[in-house]
Amino acid sequence: MEQIIQTLILGLALGGVFALMGSGLSLVFGVMRIVNLAHPSLIIAGAYATYWAFKLWGIDPLVMLPVAAIILAAIGVLLYKLVFEREARSAKYSEMTVLLTFATAMIVEGALGGMFTNTQRVTSPSYATDAIFIGNIFIPTGQLYAGIVSLLIISALALFLKYSRFGNAIRATTQNREAAELLGVNVNLVCIMSFAIGIGLAGAAGSLVSFVFSFFPAKHWEWVAVLMSLVVLGGMGSILGTVIASFMLCVVAAFVGAYVGATWSTMTFFLALFLILLIRPQGLFGEKPELA
Amino acid sequence: MPELLDVSSLTAGYGDGPAILDGAHLTVQPGKVHCIIGPNGAGKSTLLKAICGMLKIRKGDVKFKGESLKGLRPDQILRKGICFVPQERALFPKMTVRENLRMGGYSLADKSGLERAIDEIEERFPILRERRDQHAGTMSGGQQQTLAMARTLIVKPDIVMLDEPSLGLAPKIVQEMFDIMKVMASEGITILLVEQNALMGLKNADWGVVLDLGRTLFEGPAAEVMADPRIQELYLGGKKAA
Repeated sequence: MEQIIQTLILGLALGGVFALMGSGLSLVFGVMRIVNLAHPSLIIAGAYATYWAFKLWGIDPLVMLPVAAIILAAIGVLLYKLVFEREARSAKYSEMTVLLTFATAMIVEGALGGMFTNTQRVTSPSYATDAIFIGNIFIPTGQLYAGIVSLLIISALALFLKYSRFGNAIRATTQNREAAELLGVNVNLVCIMSFAIGIGLAGAAGSLVSFVFSFFPAKHWEWVAVLMSLVVLGGMGSILGTVIASFMLCVVAAFVGAYVGATWSTMTFFLALFLILLIRPQGLFGEKPELA
Repeated sequence: MPELLDVSSLTAGYGDGPAILDGAHLTVQPGKVHCIIGPNGAGKSTLLKAICGMLKIRKGDVKFKGESLKGLRPDQILRKGICFVPQERALFPKMTVRENLRMGGYSLADKSGLERAIDEIEERFPILRERRDQHAGTMSGGQQQTLAMARTLIVKPDIVMLDEPSLGLAPKIVQEMFDIMKVMASEGITILLVEQNALMGLKNADWGVVLDLGRTLFEGPAAEVMADPRIQELYLGGKKAA
């Protein structure tokens, strides 16, 4: 029984981090129909920013988080302006964005590798290796903090999308781009800002990832498929769906890891992706009201 | 005083494709319901899309209160007072009725008046108050069309253009939609309507416009259009207008 609770806790803690990693991807897809294969590589860029800030100046990753988010958001604006804006009217938009984001992922990986080598890194603030014990059950504080911060950020995002004027414009554009334009929404600005927010979320996720996982430039390939499975299971473009899918899959993966074998744990995500596409391609929450 | 809306020798089309409209013209009477009829592919929807700025004007001109709309974006034209409700109604299915109404006022500079304007509309259309927290996509076709039409009132437009508002609605509901349009017209809003069901549209309109092959063939009082034997033969299914 204790082991079951323990596994559940570890799964939930990771679920929070993955939820944040996936929510930016989901937002960008929802608004712009860009399947951003470069998203995980940008998370790693955020992780490096956090790592060096800690290593060189001793800045705590949680303090660095908003900075990493802003840096990455700025990179997002640049990326959108340089790469995607001109493709927006292209007839082969979807195909183009897959190729362009794939290329972007390779460029980011190459640049990070060139600067920081392929050594495995991990940011190590004191809480990263600590744990809280409740009886015999332990909660790793690093994962706990990361999970809590993730959920706070996602809640803030959800409130922004639901109640602010610009958030409503983003949701409207997601649901009916032409109608939003007809009602006076500057759709191009919505796209730029959503892309910036999405990539900013990658930066924030990177700060958390930097002390939860060890990372190196090519690590993002592992995450692309994992994040895709979360976003597809959640129903593409639905941020609430992505969050719920993250918790579900991370818990299942934790149980598979504990009871079947650690090597099979990652398999859970791929198997889930495969099954969803076969059985319910619109995702679990594809038809339900979206949070976003 | 300049005409409210003056469309002259208008040429427009989609992307780099052929011209769908080729020399269309149109004059509108303020506060009247205008019905544009014509066969499939005549350019009826294209005309509305060109006026609202969704399509580029290639030749000719669209003047609103004497001012050319050429080169303006849809949001700029909306701010001038022309609202367009496309065929698929332009609602946000996963936003609530209230949120949809609020989006209708997105272009308003005066935000303080927005909630009051929405309250007024809910007053007028009680069904929208009843459903205010429901997602627009879960309402019936008639309710959705009511929402789409009511939403245009938030910006207090001069002209409302509707592309086939009757599409997919039961005949009884269609009549309700026409009744709403007539009330809007009686309040001074000029209605421009594209209707596949030509006879039904003309019966509810003041002014009829016949469009074919991208040109305006005829325009005049709706009753005259309905009574014209050639138009009856070609565009009204040969049936005698009631």
